[in-house]
Amino acid sequence: MHEYSVVDALISAVLPRLTEHPGRVKTLVLKKGELRILSDRALGNAFEILSHGTRLAGAQLVVEVVPTVVACPACGYRGAAGRLGEADDHFSIPVLACPECTAPVDVVAGRELYVDHVTLSDEPLTDA
Amino acid sequence: MHDVRFAGEDILARQLELAEANYQRLHEKRIRSISVMGAIGSGKTTLIEQAIDRLRRQGLRVGTIAADSAGDDDHRRFLERGAVSVNVNTQDDCHLDAHTVHHALDHLPLEAMDVLFVENVGNLICPADFPLGTDVEIVVISVTEGDDMVRKHPKIFAQTDFVAVNKVDLAAAVGVNPQRIVDDYARVNPHGKVILTSLRSGEGIDALLDLLGLRCTSTQW
Repeated sequence: MHEYSVVDALISAVLPRLTEHPGRVKTLVLKKGELRILSDRALGNAFEILSHGTRLAGAQLVVEVVPTVVACPACGYRGAAGRLGEADDHFSIPVLACPECTAPVDVVAGRELYVDHVTLSDEPLTDA
Repeated sequence: MHDVRFAGEDILARQLELAEANYQRLHEKRIRSISVMGAIGSGKTTLIEQAIDRLRRQGLRVGTIAADSAGDDDHRRFLERGAVSVNVNTQDDCHLDAHTVHHALDHLPLEAMDVLFVENVGNLICPADFPLGTDVEIVVISVTEGDDMVRKHPKIFAQTDFVAVNKVDLAAAVGVNPQRIVDDYARVNPHGKVILTSLRSGEGIDALLDLLGLRCTSTQW
């Protein structure tokens, strides 16, 4: 359940940035690389609990998954990772070998975890 | 409605910076470092004990960071084998992080060490998202966990470069075919390296140390 420590870091990073922006926080959009071992549901639960008593309380956490992009030092391929499992299978996983020449690859995208944006309503806060 | 856009700094950026700092610090001291992960009872501690015995026989000085939720059992086992060790209790945290390792390194005689083993908390899933700054990471699986371990956690094994499939001496008794684990791992990670071990008796430890780059008699790694 390391989602709690991740969400704790997330809230600590976001709150100071919002001090100069009035309004109710509606949504917080988190970009999560698909190689991250983080459960969306656990992130949502942790956010609901840890945001309690902060300006983020009641906001919706939206997790958007960033697909894996790899670069191959051997053949120069750069693009989507090959996948194990059917292409339309929700549970297919990226394989970190070059889809063109099978050499080991560098991960260009797929491990990130960052806040993309926060949406605030312009209506004034009615309760504290 | 209006949006506040963020610069895209990783939420765990501080952890990544500290992992890089740990890596640099260990390299400056020419210490080869190995992070050992795996479920409770998979054989992480026994792997490190066996490694200490062999490496010390080669004249190498071994340090360990022993992490557990509570207690100092593993730490004392490493001390008894002749390693220098620091005990870390993570309490309610299910994994080590680079920050904790950063402080643990302050308590080790780095000038008098050639190899560092970091034993993570017994947990397969959570440590995978927290790089510590070691040279290599290895996951220990026990056959008693079942031969579907890789299929159940493919994303972890797709990113794990080294795997020890341990307690193979018990495979028949628990009705597990270790080759299935090996085959599953090869599918999710075509470049991963795997060794079958029975660490209590020391079987496979030499091949494992070779794989981890620890068999050289010099410290020029």
